[in-house]
Amino acid sequence: MAEMATSNNPNVQDVPRRKARDFHNVTAGWNFVLHLIAAVFSFICVFPFLFVVIISFTDEKTLATDGYRIFPAKWSFEAYRFVFQTGDALLRSYGVTILVTVMGTIISLVLISLYAYAISRSSFRYRRFFSVFAIITMLFNGGMIPTYMVVSQLLHMKDTIWALVLPLAMNAFYIMILRTFYSTSVPEAIIESARIDGAGDFYIFLRIVLPLSLPGLATIGLFSTLGYWNDWFNALLYIDNPNLVPLQSMLMRIENSIQFLQQNSQNSSLSMQALSSIPQDTSRMAMVVLATLPIIFAYPFFQRYFVQGLTVGAVKE
Amino acid sequence: MRKSKKRLSVALAMLTALTFVLSACGGSNANSNSAAGSSNGSSDKPVNLIWYTIGTPQKDVDKVMAEVSKYTQEKIGVTVTMKMIDWGDYTQKMQVNVASGEPMDIMFTSAGGFDYVTNARKGAFLQLDDLLNQYGQDLKNAIDPAFLEGSKVDGHNYGIPANKELPQQEVWRFNKNLVDKYNLDTTNVRSLESIEPLLKTIKENEPNVTPFAMDKNYVPYVPYDYIIQNLPMAVKLDTTDYKIVDILETPEMQAALTTMHKYYQAGYVAPEAATTGSTSDLMTSGNWFMDRAQTQPLADNLWSASYGYPVVSTPASDAIITNTSVQGSIMAISANSEHPEKAMQFLNLLNTDPVLRNMVDSGIEGTHYKKIDDTHIENLAESKNYDMPSYSLGNNMLLYLNPNDPDDKWDQFKKFNAEGKDSPILSFNFDSTKVATEMAAVQNVKEQFWASLMTGTVDPEEYLPKAIQKFKEAGLDKIIAEAQTQLDAWRASNSK
Amino acid sequence: MASFFKNILKNKVMLLMVLPGAIWFFFFSYLPLVGTIVAFKQYRFNREGFWASIVKSEWVGWQNFKFLFSGTDAWVITRNTLLYNIAFIFIGLVLSVAMAILLSQLVGKTMAKIYQTGMFLPYFLSWVIVGYFAFSFLSMDRGMLNQILGWFGMEKVQWYSDPKYWPYILIFVSLWKSIGYNSVVYLASILGIDKSLYEAAMIDGASKWQQIRSITIPMLSPIIIIMTLLAVGRIFYADFGLFYQVPRDSGTLYSVTNVIDTYVYRGLKTTGEIGMSTAAGLYQSVVGFVLVIVSNYIVRRLDKESALF
Repeated sequence: MAEMATSNNPNVQDVPRRKARDFHNVTAGWNFVLHLIAAVFSFICVFPFLFVVIISFTDEKTLATDGYRIFPAKWSFEAYRFVFQTGDALLRSYGVTILVTVMGTIISLVLISLYAYAISRSSFRYRRFFSVFAIITMLFNGGMIPTYMVVSQLLHMKDTIWALVLPLAMNAFYIMILRTFYSTSVPEAIIESARIDGAGDFYIFLRIVLPLSLPGLATIGLFSTLGYWNDWFNALLYIDNPNLVPLQSMLMRIENSIQFLQQNSQNSSLSMQALSSIPQDTSRMAMVVLATLPIIFAYPFFQRYFVQGLTVGAVKE
Repeated sequence: MRKSKKRLSVALAMLTALTFVLSACGGSNANSNSAAGSSNGSSDKPVNLIWYTIGTPQKDVDKVMAEVSKYTQEKIGVTVTMKMIDWGDYTQKMQVNVASGEPMDIMFTSAGGFDYVTNARKGAFLQLDDLLNQYGQDLKNAIDPAFLEGSKVDGHNYGIPANKELPQQEVWRFNKNLVDKYNLDTTNVRSLESIEPLLKTIKENEPNVTPFAMDKNYVPYVPYDYIIQNLPMAVKLDTTDYKIVDILETPEMQAALTTMHKYYQAGYVAPEAATTGSTSDLMTSGNWFMDRAQTQPLADNLWSASYGYPVVSTPASDAIITNTSVQGSIMAISANSEHPEKAMQFLNLLNTDPVLRNMVDSGIEGTHYKKIDDTHIENLAESKNYDMPSYSLGNNMLLYLNPNDPDDKWDQFKKFNAEGKDSPILSFNFDSTKVATEMAAVQNVKEQFWASLMTGTVDPEEYLPKAIQKFKEAGLDKIIAEAQTQLDAWRASNSK
Repeated sequence: MASFFKNILKNKVMLLMVLPGAIWFFFFSYLPLVGTIVAFKQYRFNREGFWASIVKSEWVGWQNFKFLFSGTDAWVITRNTLLYNIAFIFIGLVLSVAMAILLSQLVGKTMAKIYQTGMFLPYFLSWVIVGYFAFSFLSMDRGMLNQILGWFGMEKVQWYSDPKYWPYILIFVSLWKSIGYNSVVYLASILGIDKSLYEAAMIDGASKWQQIRSITIPMLSPIIIIMTLLAVGRIFYADFGLFYQVPRDSGTLYSVTNVIDTYVYRGLKTTGEIGMSTAAGLYQSVVGFVLVIVSNYIVRRLDKESALF
């Protein structure tokens, strides 16, 4: 199982080529039906996003009378104008999210790769203990409330950036994946010969093991990037300070009141008069679009690594 | 065998190491605490008070608190950090903050948000009797005694009520622009049924306006006084037998819910009202026609000033003094406060010193407001960065007046307070500790049914019997029986 | 003892490597585990701090659990959690495998790639955003679904207050979000199948359908079994975002949207009874533990290499 997956490393880009060669006997009629099904499903997957984009460009008044339409009677850029006027609030949330994502991904890669490496080495005397130490956390967890108490009361991380970073930093599952990856993709012989040449454990890890495991690290890095970017739950529990609100949490807050955006903007040209003309509903949707865009741009790139990584993820020792 | 022993010893070593790290953390913490504690007793280093209050977090809070701190440091040697929690989140966040022991000194509490009586009984607040006598003499003279008396729980004070309007009176508020536009007569409006023609006019002519604005906390008014705010147990205002009933089974509530459902179906209520946390978007945009609110003398001025367009109101109920109104705004000292004496001194100053009280309320003179004369102020543009709810921040009668306010504003308040009628169960506080599990279960049922019934979203024909049944299953009858026993005993001892 | 220190010294580099991770586990996994004892206490805050509060709170034995199981709550949340997860696992499995096979059969590489890219999109979105998406369809007065109903002269539906539609909506949304991802996992395995098997089958005159049934599916079955068992191990844990964000926390829908995770969270929020909420969390943890052990045991029996431990 392990060998199969890692040796093949299928790549999406190769997919159609192989198919064309191997499965040329699908009839034209069937081919059409299959294309149709796949096309419809993939359209269903993308459509809600397009719909929200359309709504965000709809005129607020039209929206109030006609509802959400695919072809609105009147288009408008007002929502974006408003959102950009209050731009600093949006930018700050972007900043928080980016900071948390970058810090979190780096921290979790460091913690996970070190831990996984140590317990993958047979020369490590306590490897079984630390493997079990990690696995137990997969089986049994204290749950939301005790975790909340530890984070807020013992570690005093409430309303700090750390409450968004640390709780998501480790995950025994990733450790196990990476451990498997090390043991399948880093030949023991290389490590042994380096050791004979007098290399220390850290040197071997940094110079030999890490470069060889880049695909595995990339996968875990991407999973964790996605996890941080899309996290709203930790902000819900731990963040009150409006300056520390990440993007997803900002979206939750404006669901109740778009004023949150305005209140947290330093732009004082937004007078009371302007407030009454805020395009409230379309601005919400514009925020959704703006929060989704980075993902939309990044994900074709993500997708490739995910496919590679998935085959790693599906395999345990 | 040997191997496993060794493994055990490693485990122990690990644990010891980690505990060491842990205790080191805890140790340093304790040190810093005690350091702070000793310095406050001996020297001039000011004590910092953490103050949690309700309202949409304002941008300039830290800036204003820096000014406030300068003033209070000189007067009583304290500095102040204010933390604001938004309206919809306050109860929940404070619940969690208190339960988990978040450091704090002063917190806002009331009958409606972060329930005062329940949390006083749970031990969230410090009992203030002695502190009040020691540091709160001025305050006692400044506040209407009805407030201090009405906020006693089991004979003790657990918080300092704000001196403000004493009775609670519901009003219908109208967006005056629309009232004028359609030349509507609001004077004959009083009951829930009587507003229908107005709503109908608006619905037919103003498709973009929400005729009847409400969020998920809306409850139709019925002439009952609730034992606990928002739980379905209440006593009729004109009761003679002091019987506690399930409010959902009363004809008044049933009629009100039917009407609400009719309104909902007619489109007078926003379709998603039952899941809407706040109407503030409607209020800023002005796309609403009417809603219901609690009033105070000259409230229309206040509302109009804060929304930027005229608002008028007419009464929807009598002015009744209830526990809810007496306990409508209280500042308590946290049970985990490190500096209870200083906190009490601060509360005393806040409720007696106009300079401090107005700074907390309106911000910095010249930045957020300017004085027109000795008593009147005008908001400056920056005031939108410091727009605070006055009712939650202490003695209202020290406040500067708005430009439109008559000079006798506070006299009108006193008159209003004097004219309010007492609820039959005023100052009866239910102790729910014996039925704590039932209370939690009833809370869960309430979460499920309350908002959709009260906003008229669902048909009471179908859902009301279901809700009543679910409440019974959760143990409401047991709670009512317990409350009735306590009420009867209270009645006997107070000879009512 | 001396040998113990010698061993520590000998392994000091490795120990240093696991140290940061071990500290993390200690704080974020093991301490909360200790904290679950408040499930047996009536938690009351004590001013001496966190530990004092836990230690000094009054023992109440099983009372918090009694509360949980006394009403219908425990039954409803357990039922919802289990049934939804079962539906997600099995419908998801069938559809993802079907979609993977379908994709593997497509002629025309550019299109196949475009389809895949489209299907993968929902997996990358947060539940908050998916919640907004759902609202654009389900909103009572503006949503697209009610407009479509209107075209057919049907009455508007109050989506956010009528529980009877929500099992379907939740299953649909969950599948919508996950099928693209899962089908790519399976597709990757299909592409890893030795091509000579198909060539041999074609020479023997096997039809497309026969090839799928007797080569593709059997070759996929190990990964299908593992993915499924992994999911079964998590069957007692619900996806909080799906059940909290998508129904907009609407009270009327709780009978079909309340799962253990949302129940615990709401317990913390509305009643503030930490002991009771923790009890619900502990119940989840214990049953979840048993399920992981059982499913891992089955994986072990089927394919030792694939077991988690």
